[in-house]
Amino acid sequence: MINNSFRLRQVWMIARLQLRRVFFARRSLWVYLLAFFPAIIFIGHGIEVKIKRERWGGHAVTTPAKLDSVREGDTEEEVIAKAGTPITDQRFRRRDEEEPERRYMRYYDGTRQVNLWFRSGLLVQKSTSNLIDFEEDRQVYAGVFQYFYLRLAIFFGCLGIFMNLFRGEMMDKTLHFWMLTPVRREVLLAGKYLAGLIAAVVIFTGGALFCFAAMLWPQETAEVQAFWRDGGASHAFWYAAAAALASLGYGSVFLAAGLLVRNPIIPAAVLLLWEGINGFLPAVLQKLSVLYYVQSLCPVPAPMDSDTPALARMLLAPAEPAPAATAVLGLLAVTALVLWFASRAVTRLEINYSTD
Amino acid sequence: MITPEIRLDEVSKFYGEVLGVNRVTLRIPPGITSLVGPNGSGKTTLMNLITGLVHPDRGTIEVRGISPRNPEQLMRFTGYATQYDAAPRGATGYEFVSAGLLLYGYSSEEARRMAWKALERVSLTDAANRKVAAYSKGMRQRVRLAQAIAHDPEVLVLDEPLNGLDPLVRAETIALFREFANRGRHVVLSSHVLQEVDVISDQVILIANGMIIAEGQIRGVRDEMHEHPSQFLIRCRDASRIASILFEMDHVTEIKLHEDRLGMLVWTRSRQEFSRALTRIAGNGSPIDSVMAADENVDALYEYLIGGGR
Amino acid sequence: MAVYKRGYRRYQGHLTGYWSRLLALPRFAWSRLMAQRLVVIVMMVSLFWPLACGVFIYVSNHTELWQGLDRGFTRFLEINPRFFVIFMNFQAVFAVLLAAFAGPSLIAPDLANNALPLYFSRPMSRADYVLARMLVLLGLLSPVTWVPGVLLFGMQTGMAGWDWFQLNWKIGLGILGGFLLWITFVSMVAMASSAYVKWRIVAGGLVLAFFFVLAGAGAMIDNILRVEWGSLLNPTLAVNKIWRWLLGAEALPGPEAYEHAIALAVMAAGLLWVLNRKLRPVEVVS
Ligand SMILES: Nc1ncnc2c1ncn2[C@@H]1O[C@H](COP(=O)(O)OP(=O)(O)OP(=O)(O)O)[C@@H](O)[C@H]1O
Ligand SMILES: [Mg+2]
Repeated sequence: MINNSFRLRQVWMIARLQLRRVFFARRSLWVYLLAFFPAIIFIGHGIEVKIKRERWGGHAVTTPAKLDSVREGDTEEEVIAKAGTPITDQRFRRRDEEEPERRYMRYYDGTRQVNLWFRSGLLVQKSTSNLIDFEEDRQVYAGVFQYFYLRLAIFFGCLGIFMNLFRGEMMDKTLHFWMLTPVRREVLLAGKYLAGLIAAVVIFTGGALFCFAAMLWPQETAEVQAFWRDGGASHAFWYAAAAALASLGYGSVFLAAGLLVRNPIIPAAVLLLWEGINGFLPAVLQKLSVLYYVQSLCPVPAPMDSDTPALARMLLAPAEPAPAATAVLGLLAVTALVLWFASRAVTRLEINYSTD
Repeated sequence: MITPEIRLDEVSKFYGEVLGVNRVTLRIPPGITSLVGPNGSGKTTLMNLITGLVHPDRGTIEVRGISPRNPEQLMRFTGYATQYDAAPRGATGYEFVSAGLLLYGYSSEEARRMAWKALERVSLTDAANRKVAAYSKGMRQRVRLAQAIAHDPEVLVLDEPLNGLDPLVRAETIALFREFANRGRHVVLSSHVLQEVDVISDQVILIANGMIIAEGQIRGVRDEMHEHPSQFLIRCRDASRIASILFEMDHVTEIKLHEDRLGMLVWTRSRQEFSRALTRIAGNGSPIDSVMAADENVDALYEYLIGGGR
Repeated sequence: MAVYKRGYRRYQGHLTGYWSRLLALPRFAWSRLMAQRLVVIVMMVSLFWPLACGVFIYVSNHTELWQGLDRGFTRFLEINPRFFVIFMNFQAVFAVLLAAFAGPSLIAPDLANNALPLYFSRPMSRADYVLARMLVLLGLLSPVTWVPGVLLFGMQTGMAGWDWFQLNWKIGLGILGGFLLWITFVSMVAMASSAYVKWRIVAGGLVLAFFFVLAGAGAMIDNILRVEWGSLLNPTLAVNKIWRWLLGAEALPGPEAYEHAIALAVMAAGLLWVLNRKLRPVEVVS
């Protein structure tokens, strides 16, 4: 009757019982917020672009050739004669200075917007930018994924979800109910880990992919099609895989920390520090970091913020990335090692509610 | 054949510096066994040890031949209602009782049936669909009992199961214990109040400071005492001197001096002569703090056995 | 006559003064916090930087020590608003760390163990309780923030003389006011987090997350939407700008100091709302 397939069923049952606690608790609302917040902003960006396109498209769109003929040094009248009525036309003057009036005009040619600044009636600056820039947005997404998802959302999200599994039930004084069921402690650990993992993977991969979709949504159709033809699906896949593997890795670390340490801020701070100074460490130690592997999987390297101080730049400089297979296997190895420690700890675990 | 016994051999458990239980050796046969002792005496620790919630620092434990380190087998036939007054966040009474049953391998249909049966036995069907967190103290006590008996265990361990129950429910609950015991099962329960449990238990274990002080059938002991010389418990400051005076008298058959030299247990054949003698002793300036007829009061015995150890 | 009317008489004796009653809480809390190794270590570490700044001020005021050096270095050694702003930024981080480690142990256990009725059954209102807890944190954060700040300012005044003070007295006020603003805000975050999650240990993580995640979210908004107002979400940046304005240091690009101040005020109002919602002696379970 008690055999390994029954134990596997027990793992799944524990996971199912736990999942409700992880997924639907009011307490985990913030995890969703964290995971879907970037998507909301990208959607906001998309809506903004769509509205502009709609509104400006309604005006007579100026042909690119006409706009190209506008040069710095032209007078306002010349510009209007060449390119017609602008979609935006603002005049302003600084109150405190006795400066001549300035004027700002904007033209739109269907994809690009052209900004013109005049001073004393002469065009002094002309700048052209795409209404929406796919290349740039993909860079922005890469930054959001690496800095926000990997370093903040998944990190703190897994901290919350996985610490909750054991430490949280100790605080609630409900852990003993699990220990009074006819399951091996290792089975209990596996079930709880599975529950946390399913939740974290669903929430964060879902969030990251949804955000990716939100980023693609307002882009020019032709460009998006070209992107899909040109291995876009593999980008999406690797982002999803990186999010899932980050959940796997951080999850195991925080699960173990929840078993071993009373105060999770300390491991959290230590881990943040560890992942932070990682670039300085000898190669062997670098491989013991979750971030190292996960970053190796990201399809687009994160842009470095231009105003990151030099010291921080050094801190963030990723080590030479590992090949995908090595990265996945390395991460699985780190996870297995940590889970092994956790299983040792869980068999020794005692109910000791009073001292928290 | 495995002996249906709970055995503890030289079991010690320390919480850091603090003593939980110390060198406990016990054989608990089937039937109702009550652990009685004051607060902090180690009842909960002992029960947690038996059910594997904590592990002994020294010694071995076997519950019907199974080590508590093996919850997979132990929990199949063991139910434990703890003293921790908590329930999973947001669970209703029914969910609380039924959730664990699936892990025994029962189908969800079976689990449903068993959960309702357990809730019925503690008369909690009306409130079954309300959140446990919103239950009253007695209801929470009962729902934990229901959870412990839901899988029909052979060994039932209950930490202060009668706490907070009204008289009616208390009687029902006691009947439930009796029924379990009559079927050759173990019911181990704890209490602070000896009178409460000594009528219902087959065996009482007195525990204080983490040590077993007495075990056996208190009721039987008391019955015996009625036929024997009367027994008095004296608390006084100068116990050894008073004992030596009393021992000179004919009617005194036996004196047991308490360890702390502040009390003694006296057996006498004549109550009148004994009280006269005491009056005399007190009149001579030897202060006597209290005199109690031990055989009329279970608590006296309890206090005698346990009180001195504090 | 109802039984309770004969039997119950409320306490009519002498009450101790309001403040001595209120300060009973901080008194015990401080001694308890000081027994925590972690808190003491963080406090010690956070005093290194002020010490280094003190040495810097000393060196900068002893011209004879660096006579032969070139102009750029002389400029570097000048004690100006920028110097103090950098000093304050460092201490701000330590204040957050300290609040994350020590803050949650003040309120969360009371809520988790239903201890609030014990407080409120004494002559103490909810507002008093919050104020008392706030005083604990303010007292704890002061030695790492405005106290060394004002000391450094005093040291500079003592060394550079009355003329310097007349020109720069605003810096001293700015240090005091700016730090008080920050530690009040940080304390509110710590208290609201612990009232919100009730678990001491999670609350600490939440305090850290509050500052990290808001900063990240702000940067993200700026990048995705190509705007500047996203950084309004970043409390650390906000207070940095306010300090620069208070001390008269050069302003950073992006939203103005007053806009950041409004954003901080809105956040503070939200934190107060959370405290008001969650700090109740009774919880109704539906
Ligand atoms: N988790 C713990 N950490 C430290 N000491 C503990 C812990 N649990 C119990 N103790 C100590 O062990 C001793 C026995 O405690 P235990 O809970 O077993 O007593 P008890 O008989 O159940 O008391 P009560 O009647 O109050 O429930 C006490 O001195 C107690 O302080
Ligand atoms: Mg107990």
